[in-house]
Amino acid sequence: MHGRVKVRTTEEERERKKKEQALKVRAYRAAMGRIQKKREAGELDSEMLTLTVQILQRNPDVSTLWNIRRECVLDKLAKLKAEAAEKEAETPKEEENTEGAAEKNDSQPEDKSQAVFTTELDLTEQCLMVNPKSYNAWHHRCWTLEQNPRADWQRELLLCNKYLKFDERNFHTWDYRRYVTEKAAVPAAQELDFCTEKIKVNFSNYSSWHHRSLLLPELYPNERRDRPMSEEKLQQELDMVLTAAFTDPNDSSAWFYQRWLLGSGAELDRVPKVAAFRLGAKGAVLALDKPNPELNKLPIELVSGDEKWQLQNWQSVDSGKTAWKLQQAFDCPKTKSLTLKLADQEVNLSPIPNSDGFYYFVPPHAVASCSKELLAELQTQLQSCLDLLEYEPDSKWTLLTSALLMRAIDVSANHDQSLTHLTKLEKVDALREGYYKDLAARWVLESELAKWPQAADFPTKFELAEEKSLASLPLGQYLIIADELKVSPKLREELGERLPKSFGDLEL
Amino acid sequence: MADDLPEQFDLVVIGTGFTESCIAAAASRVGKSVLHIDSNEYYGDVWSSFSMDTYCARIDRVVEPHSTLRNASYTWHVAETAPETESIETQGDQRWTRDSVMAKSRRFSLDLCPRILYAAGELVQLLIKSNICRYAEFRAVDHVCMRHNEEIVSVPCSRSDVFNTKSLTIVEKRLLMKFLTACNDYGEDKCNEDSLEFRGRTFLEYLQAQRVTEKISSCVMQAIAMCGPNTSFEEGMQRTQRFLGSLGRYGNTPFLFPMYGCGELPQCFCRLCAVYGGIYCLKRAVDDIGLDAETNELVLSSAGKTLRAKNVVSAPGYSPVSKGVEMRPHISRGLFVASNPLGNEELNKGGGGVNLLRLLDADGQREAILIQLSHYSGACPEGLYVFHLTTPAVSEDPASDLSAFTSLLFDRSDVQLIFSSYFTIASQSNKSAAAEHIHYTEAPTFELDYDAAISNARQVFNKLYADAEFLPRAPDPEEIVIDGEDPSALNENSLPEDLRAQLHDMQQATQEMDIQE
Repeated sequence: MHGRVKVRTTEEERERKKKEQALKVRAYRAAMGRIQKKREAGELDSEMLTLTVQILQRNPDVSTLWNIRRECVLDKLAKLKAEAAEKEAETPKEEENTEGAAEKNDSQPEDKSQAVFTTELDLTEQCLMVNPKSYNAWHHRCWTLEQNPRADWQRELLLCNKYLKFDERNFHTWDYRRYVTEKAAVPAAQELDFCTEKIKVNFSNYSSWHHRSLLLPELYPNERRDRPMSEEKLQQELDMVLTAAFTDPNDSSAWFYQRWLLGSGAELDRVPKVAAFRLGAKGAVLALDKPNPELNKLPIELVSGDEKWQLQNWQSVDSGKTAWKLQQAFDCPKTKSLTLKLADQEVNLSPIPNSDGFYYFVPPHAVASCSKELLAELQTQLQSCLDLLEYEPDSKWTLLTSALLMRAIDVSANHDQSLTHLTKLEKVDALREGYYKDLAARWVLESELAKWPQAADFPTKFELAEEKSLASLPLGQYLIIADELKVSPKLREELGERLPKSFGDLEL
Repeated sequence: MADDLPEQFDLVVIGTGFTESCIAAAASRVGKSVLHIDSNEYYGDVWSSFSMDTYCARIDRVVEPHSTLRNASYTWHVAETAPETESIETQGDQRWTRDSVMAKSRRFSLDLCPRILYAAGELVQLLIKSNICRYAEFRAVDHVCMRHNEEIVSVPCSRSDVFNTKSLTIVEKRLLMKFLTACNDYGEDKCNEDSLEFRGRTFLEYLQAQRVTEKISSCVMQAIAMCGPNTSFEEGMQRTQRFLGSLGRYGNTPFLFPMYGCGELPQCFCRLCAVYGGIYCLKRAVDDIGLDAETNELVLSSAGKTLRAKNVVSAPGYSPVSKGVEMRPHISRGLFVASNPLGNEELNKGGGGVNLLRLLDADGQREAILIQLSHYSGACPEGLYVFHLTTPAVSEDPASDLSAFTSLLFDRSDVQLIFSSYFTIASQSNKSAAAEHIHYTEAPTFELDYDAAISNARQVFNKLYADAEFLPRAPDPEEIVIDGEDPSALNENSLPEDLRAQLHDMQQATQEMDIQE
């Protein structure tokens, strides 16, 4: 019965796999032991490189081995450099008449070091085939290229293209691509085209949308910096992203990109601005529109004509580091006009009606400027969303987006309706109920603060109508200039310690 | 040579068409001795593919009363040779002549029976399950098309297609996606309101109730569900699901086309049959079949030799079993070669690939399938395009059966036809008296994929060998062990090459080093 065909059973197959595994483990231990011994002995030679290759090819995530490799590579490069210097010193002058020979001598150590780099690049490429998301392998590739003054960045760009064809969502490759395109000085416009292609293949791709968000503000800057990019381009982007969102509303990547588009682009890198300020008989309070933990490092002074008063030693009164009180005793100067200077910001203070002291207040502004064309685009988009809501009244992202669009178009006219959408969202997306409540509170406060300067007892009293049932009180730092906060007892109880401090509460 | 042939078989299969090859492979795979015999000098019978010259020769062949391929003709629309005064390459635009096309004859793979495979369809599943797929190569179909406002347009199939198409508004996109998702989920929830409400009504009624626009409706009816106005709701849903279930597997569309033509497929099955010991004889006819009442065996005489078989399976159209049988037109086929493709540039980017278009005649009662092949299909020379047109036969005249569709396609287009050919594939309308103990396969039916053919093969196989599995997975070479070995032993030769090399490296490394256990 020799030579008869028989198929291995799964049992036998398992047994065989086990044996294979055991053999691999044995080999791995042996190689690791050998590597550690060699390193202790300081033997950073070619054998070391070969040994590490064997393990890394199978498991590219052993950081130690990559570190050892880097030691080896640096060692090798240093030796080659020394060799080159030696050769140069040895080369007798008379040999220079045969130009070819001289060139050959020159290029040899250089060729060798290029070969070292190539070996490293090839290895990382093999490792990335095993695990395309290996942090170590990507890092080693960057490191190798950094060492090589003659690195071929175009080749790296092609590598990125290749890898993104395999997996257009690999964020490692996108990260690496940004690094490479900067080195290779790839025009941003060309990158944007590439990015668009990838989105056409599969728009469910956070990496690609993110890549766009970095390229667009650079390519199409917004003059006023209150939008992420020029309005013309913004319209096109809004159009594209809404198409994606409508094609698959359950894919969150497009909606997130859309929120970024509708936001005021420069928000992140902007310095915190003075939002409110009050100077009383005994002290001062200051509110910023966004946190600045390092307020005490900034020069803050009051100016009246030629007189100047330094305001130093501020203490933060909220966890968000947006509301501050002056620690030092300070007597309110008897003057008619005062200016507050905070670094390079300058604001004029107004006297408090029927009381001593001065104040400054500017409500948080929620809306960025809007040209006619952009407004038309936003309105078209809103209409599409509302159309869609007729078919799918419970579509979460559509509800949220239409609320955002309404506010972008006309915040005061659409205030109530946008809040209805949030109330509905609390039900259809109950998992994020708290998020919607918080957002609703922020919108209510934005609207109330905008109306506050018209109130009778402004700025000494802030009153929040009873019927506004809020879950929290965001933007509380703006209220620090009021003597008294009138909010419902329920909210006061709910907030407890989190109730924003008012001017009256602070023992100045 | 004939003398070497054994005389006793479990099964003799006459005809090497798709269905017969399936049965032969399945029988051989479960250990039956099989003789597969065909009087033609090629594999595949009416499922075969031909080079240009052999195709013309096949069309010219004398038709016998029981032939399945009949009413065949072809016409050249270009001159035999180029006039001598004219240089062939004027302004880089090649002028084709009969001679220049014939010079590339071997680049053609002209199918008698072209098909498109659903990427998750019966055949693909069978090929994977049986491991026959290793013998075949495929190209993902590039575009599924439809006619809309007299134009041929691409139907958005995948999510990215829907996203990228400029022809739908965003609300339409949402409606289409929503509709497709609903179809995809259909059947999971039996109590779904829709499915109750529309039971017994037509699919078109359901579609209209979904408030979809006219354009989306034609996308779905013409290209996705591929149904007519009278298709029932249930069937339309099933067809849509079949389409959607095949999406996202191999390419942008849910379809595959076999590289080098569909004639490859019967041969893949024949190869498996031969691997398991099946014997092949082409150019060999069976002259007579009789039943030995004593042994209950069939006695065949072929080329002066007597063969005995426990069972015989035959394709229609082969003598002697089909002699005297009435043949009925079944499929009308048109085959065209042109120097430019149908549809706009967008549909034929980079020279085009494989495009599929389902056509309906003016009153929507009759349908035809058009498959357009470029040289990327491996079935056509570069610079030329092959159009396969197929419709259920209504008469003995394939050209007139197809005229409604050819006029839709070619009348107002700029397609430059070089060659056109028509033929009929017939089926048997009754069995011959001699065929009582013989199992018949059916002639190709009008379908896109091979579902009917496979079910026919399965049915015949089950009649023959009720207890045996139909085409179980064939093992890969590395899974095979030779008897007498320890089957759990780590046999180096049974590992994939790269792993073998790695293990070898490791073993060497292990030997060289001091191992601390």
